[in-house]
Amino acid sequence: MQTADFTALTPLLLLAAAIAAVMLQIALKRSHILTIVLTLAGLIAAMLGVLAVGDMPARQVTPLVTMDRLAFFFIGLILTATAATALLGCRYWEHAVGQCEEYYLLLLVAALGACVLAAAHHFAAFFIGLEILSISLFTLMAFARRRMASVEAGLKYLVLAGISSAFLLFGIALIYADVGSLAFPIWTARLQAAGETVSPLLLIGMGMTVIGVGFKLALVPFHMWTADIYQGAPAPTTAFVATVSKSAMVALLLRLFAPVDFTAEPALFWTLAILAFASMIVGNILALRQDSVKRILAYSSIAHMGYLLVAFLSGGPAAIAATVFYITAYTITVLGAFGVVTVLSRTDADADSMSDFQGLFFSHPWLAGVFMAMLLSLAGIPLTAGFIGKFYAITAGAQGGIWWLIITLVLTSAASLFYYLRIVVAMFSPPLENKTQPPAAGISYSGGLVLTVMTVLLIWVGSAPGPLIDLIGRITQ
Amino acid sequence: MQSFWLIPALPLAGFLILALGGGRLSRGAAAVVGVGSVGLSAVLTFWAVFAFLAARPEQGAFTQNVWQWIAVADLTPAIAFHVDALTLTMMGVITGVGFFIHLYSVGYMAGETGYARFFAYMNLFVSAMLILVMADNLLLLYLGWEGVGLCSYLLIGFWYRDPANGYAARKAFVVTRAGDTAMAIGLFLLFDRLGTLHIQELMQRAVDTWPAASAMPTIAALLLLGGAVGKSAQLPLQTWLPDAMAGPTPVSALIHAATMVTAGVYLIARTHVLFELAPAALTAVAAIGALTLLLAGFSALCQTDIKRVLAYSTISQIGYMFLALGVGAWSAAIFHLVTHAFFKALLFLGAGAVIHALDGEQELSRMGGLRRELPLTFLTFLAGAASLAALPLITAGFYSKDMIIWEAYAAARGSLIWWFAALGGALLTVVYTFRMFFRVFEGPLQTRVHHAPGVSMTLPLVVLAVLSLTAGFVEMPRTLGGVHLFSTFMAGALPMVQLDPAREGHEWFFQVLSAGLVLLALLVSWRLFRRPIAHRAAGADSPLKAALQRWWLAGWGFDWLYDRLFVRPYIFLARINRNDVIDSGIDQIARGAQTLYRTASATQTGRLRTYAASMALGAALVIALAVWS
Repeated sequence: MQTADFTALTPLLLLAAAIAAVMLQIALKRSHILTIVLTLAGLIAAMLGVLAVGDMPARQVTPLVTMDRLAFFFIGLILTATAATALLGCRYWEHAVGQCEEYYLLLLVAALGACVLAAAHHFAAFFIGLEILSISLFTLMAFARRRMASVEAGLKYLVLAGISSAFLLFGIALIYADVGSLAFPIWTARLQAAGETVSPLLLIGMGMTVIGVGFKLALVPFHMWTADIYQGAPAPTTAFVATVSKSAMVALLLRLFAPVDFTAEPALFWTLAILAFASMIVGNILALRQDSVKRILAYSSIAHMGYLLVAFLSGGPAAIAATVFYITAYTITVLGAFGVVTVLSRTDADADSMSDFQGLFFSHPWLAGVFMAMLLSLAGIPLTAGFIGKFYAITAGAQGGIWWLIITLVLTSAASLFYYLRIVVAMFSPPLENKTQPPAAGISYSGGLVLTVMTVLLIWVGSAPGPLIDLIGRITQ
Repeated sequence: MQSFWLIPALPLAGFLILALGGGRLSRGAAAVVGVGSVGLSAVLTFWAVFAFLAARPEQGAFTQNVWQWIAVADLTPAIAFHVDALTLTMMGVITGVGFFIHLYSVGYMAGETGYARFFAYMNLFVSAMLILVMADNLLLLYLGWEGVGLCSYLLIGFWYRDPANGYAARKAFVVTRAGDTAMAIGLFLLFDRLGTLHIQELMQRAVDTWPAASAMPTIAALLLLGGAVGKSAQLPLQTWLPDAMAGPTPVSALIHAATMVTAGVYLIARTHVLFELAPAALTAVAAIGALTLLLAGFSALCQTDIKRVLAYSTISQIGYMFLALGVGAWSAAIFHLVTHAFFKALLFLGAGAVIHALDGEQELSRMGGLRRELPLTFLTFLAGAASLAALPLITAGFYSKDMIIWEAYAAARGSLIWWFAALGGALLTVVYTFRMFFRVFEGPLQTRVHHAPGVSMTLPLVVLAVLSLTAGFVEMPRTLGGVHLFSTFMAGALPMVQLDPAREGHEWFFQVLSAGLVLLALLVSWRLFRRPIAHRAAGADSPLKAALQRWWLAGWGFDWLYDRLFVRPYIFLARINRNDVIDSGIDQIARGAQTLYRTASATQTGRLRTYAASMALGAALVIALAVWS
C-alpha cells in the first residue's frame, strides 16, 4: 500500500482509531461524559477527514474498497447520522441502570461497518462490512437489557439476519463459481455481456444478493422483522437502524446494480420492481391503523424504500442522483422524527403509543412543531426535504417511463397522508386528563441541538435544494 | 438596488411577530410593530423612487432575483422582483396610504379586543399586496393575489362573533374566487402555449407567437379579465364589495378602496401587451367599466348607510379606471387609481371618524349637523368629497377624471358612447357625493357626539386631504398649461395614449362642458339635499320612484338574481345529493383499505418462525423470478 492509499482511507482510519480510544478509555476509567466526548471527537475528526480528502480522484485501495466521491458522500452521511444518534443517546442512557459506555463503542463499530459497505468494491468487503454492522446492531438493539421487548428485538434480528446472511453467502459462492472473481465490476460486466445466455448459477446468485440487500432495506417480503425491531429496540438504536444501516445499503445497491443496464437484464429489473411495488403497497397498508408511533414509522420506512427503488429503477441519467437525494432527505427526516421520539422517551419505556403524543402541542409546542415538520416531510408536503426527494423520484421515474410504479407511488403516498396526519391530529388534540406527561424536565441541550439542526436542514433542503442537488450531481457523474 | 426585497419583507416580519407573539405584546408594542413595519417600508419605497429617478435603469426597470425554489423543465418558480414606474407608483400608494391608515387604526381600534390580531392581518395584507405588484412572474403575482384575498376575508370577518360578518367574509371570498378560477385557467393557458410565466418574457413571446386579434390572445386576455373583474368588483362580480363593509372602517379604506380592489386595474395594465393583441377583450374592458360606473352610480344615490355609499362609489370609480384601460389610456387609469386611493381612503377614514364619534352609527338618516361638532373632520371630508366629485381646477380628482373623460372620446379607441357614459357617471358622482355630505354635516344634529377623534386619527385625515387636493397638479391637460410629469414617468412602463388626430382639437370645448355640468350638478344636489329629509314632503313619492329606489338600493337586484340562479340550485343539488354518490365510492376505498390492513397485519404475528417462513417464501419467489423471467 502506498501513502495515497492511506490518505484515501483517512476517514476509516480515524474512525477505527476512535474505536480503539473509546475502548481504552472504558477499560481505564468509566465516565459517560468522557465517552461521549471521545465518540463525538472521533466522529468529527472522521468528518473532517472526509472534507479533506473527499475531492480526491477516485482511488481503489486494495481489491476490496474504492474510495470515490460517492463513497465519501455516504461516509459523511453515515458519520453525521451516527453523531446525531450519539447525541440523542446521551440523555436517554444517562439514568440507565448499569453501564452504558459500551453503547457508544458499538455505535462506532457499526458505523465503521456501514462505511465499509458504502465503499465496498468486492463481495468480500460487502460481507465483512455487513457482518460488522449486523453484529453490532444485535447488541445495540438489545442494549436496554432489562426491557423484554429490547432483548426480543435483538434476538429476532440475530436469527433473521443470520438467515439472510446465509442466503447472501450462498449467492456469493454461486457467483464466484460462475465468474471466478468477487470484484463487483467483473460481475456486472459478465451480467451485462451475457444478455440472453446468462447461466442459471449467475442468476440465482444475483437473486440471493437481492435477498441480502432486500432484508437490510426491509423490502416486502423480507420486511417482517421491521416493526417488531423498530418498536422493541431503544429509540436511539431505532434511529440508527432506520438511517445508517439503510443508507449504507443504498450505497451498496448503487454499487452493485447501477452499472447494470436494465433493458439488457430484465430479470433483475422485474425482481426489484416487484419488490418495490409490494413494499409501497404493503408498507402503507400496514401503517394505516397502527396505534404505535414507532411501528408506524417502521412500516413507513418499508414504503419509503419502495419509493426509493422507483427512483433507482428508472435507469435514466437522473436515477442515481434521485436515489442519493432521496436517501439523504430521508435520513434527515427520520433522524428528526426519531429525535422527537427519543427526547420524549424515558429509560424504562419509550414514548410510543398515540396517547403518549396526544396533546403534545400544548405541553411542548416546539417539539410538536418539529415532529409535524418531519411527518409532513415523510408525507412529501412542499417546502420540506421529503417533497423534493419524492419529486425527483417521480421525475426520474417519468424519464425512465415506468408509469405503473409511479402511479403506485402517487396513490400509496396519498394513502400514507392518513397515518401521518393521525399523529399530527393526536398532537393537536387536547391532552388526556389522567395522563402524566412522560418527560420530566425540559429537553436536553444535545437533543435540542439535533432537532434544531435537522429541522433547519429539512427546511433548507426543502426550500433551496439547489446546493445539495449540485453536490449530488457532482458526485454521481 | 439590492434591498427591494426588504419592502415586502418588513410587513411580513411584522405579521410574524404579531401572529406568534401577539398575545404577549402590550397594545403599545403591537401598534409600534404594526405601524412601524409599514412605515419603514414606506420610507424604503420613497428611497427606491429616488434611486430609480437618479439611476434611470436600462429597460426601465430594476430587477432582483431573490430566491429560486426549483427548476423543472420550463417551470422555474422564483421569488423575483421587477420594479418599474408602474410598480413604484403602486408601491408608493400601498405603503404611503397604507402607513397612514395603519396610524389611523391605532386610534380607531383602540377599544377593540384582538388589537394585535388586527395589525397582524393588516401587515400580512400590505406584504401580500406588495408581492402582487412587485412580482416579475405571474405565479408570484398569483401568490400575492391569493394572499390579499385571504387577508380581505380575515379582515371583513374580523368581528367574527356576529354571524352576518362571517357571511359577508365568505361571500367576498367565494365571489372573488369565481374570478380567480378564471384567472388561474388563464395562467395555465399562457404557460401551456407560451412556456413561461415571467411577465416580460411572456409579453415578448405573445407578440412573437400570436397574430393580433387572433383567438388565443383574446381567450387568454378574457380569462385574466375574469380575475380582474372579481378582484376589482366590476360587473358581473361586483356584489361582494358592498357587503364587505362589514369589516372595520380602516380595512374598508385600505383594502376595499385604496389598494386591493385596484389589483384588477394593475393586472390589466401590467399585461397590457396581451390586451393590445386582443381588441375584443379591450372593448369588453371598456364596456364593463362604462356599465359598472353607471349602475354603481345609481345604486350609490339610494344607499342609506354611509359606508355603502362609499362602497358603490368605489365600484363606480374603478369602472372609470377600467374604461380608461379599455380605450388604451393606460396612464390615465393609473393616475386615477392614485388620486382615487388618496380621496377614497380619506373619505373612508372621515366616515370612520364620524362613525367612531357617533359610537358605531352608520345610518345617514341618523346623522346630520356634524359641521360644528367635528370641524376638522368636516373640512377634510369636504376636501375628499370635492375631489371625488371632481370639482374643477382645485381638486386632484378633477385632473384624473377629466383626463379619462376626455380620452374616452379622443383616444384612437375612444368613442362618443364611452364619453357619454363617463360624463353621466361624473354627474351621478357629484349628486351622490354631496347627498351624503349634506346628510352628514348639514341640518339639525341627530345623534350626540360621544368622542372626538384623537391626533392619530386626525393626522392621516389632514395629510390625505392635502394630497386629495394637490396630487393632481403633476398632470394637467394642455389647455391648462400642459404638465405631464406623471405620464412621462409612466412612459417607461406603459405606452402613451394614442389620440385620434381628428378629435384632438376640441379639447377645451369638452372640458368646459364637463366642468360646467359638474358645477350644475353640484347646484342641483345643494337644492335637493341641503335640507334634511323630514322637511321634504314625505310620502309624496310616486310608486314608480319608490320602486326604483328600492331596486337601486338593492344594487339592481344582482344579489336576488344570483341567489335564484346559483345559490338556490346549488343548495338544492347539495340537498338531494346528501348521501353523496361520489363519496360512497370513495368510502369503499377506505373500507377496502381497512380490510387489507386487517389481512396484512394478521401476518405480523410476532413469531420468529412466521417471519423466517416469509423470508424463505420470498427467496423462492425472487429466485424463480430471476431464473424464469
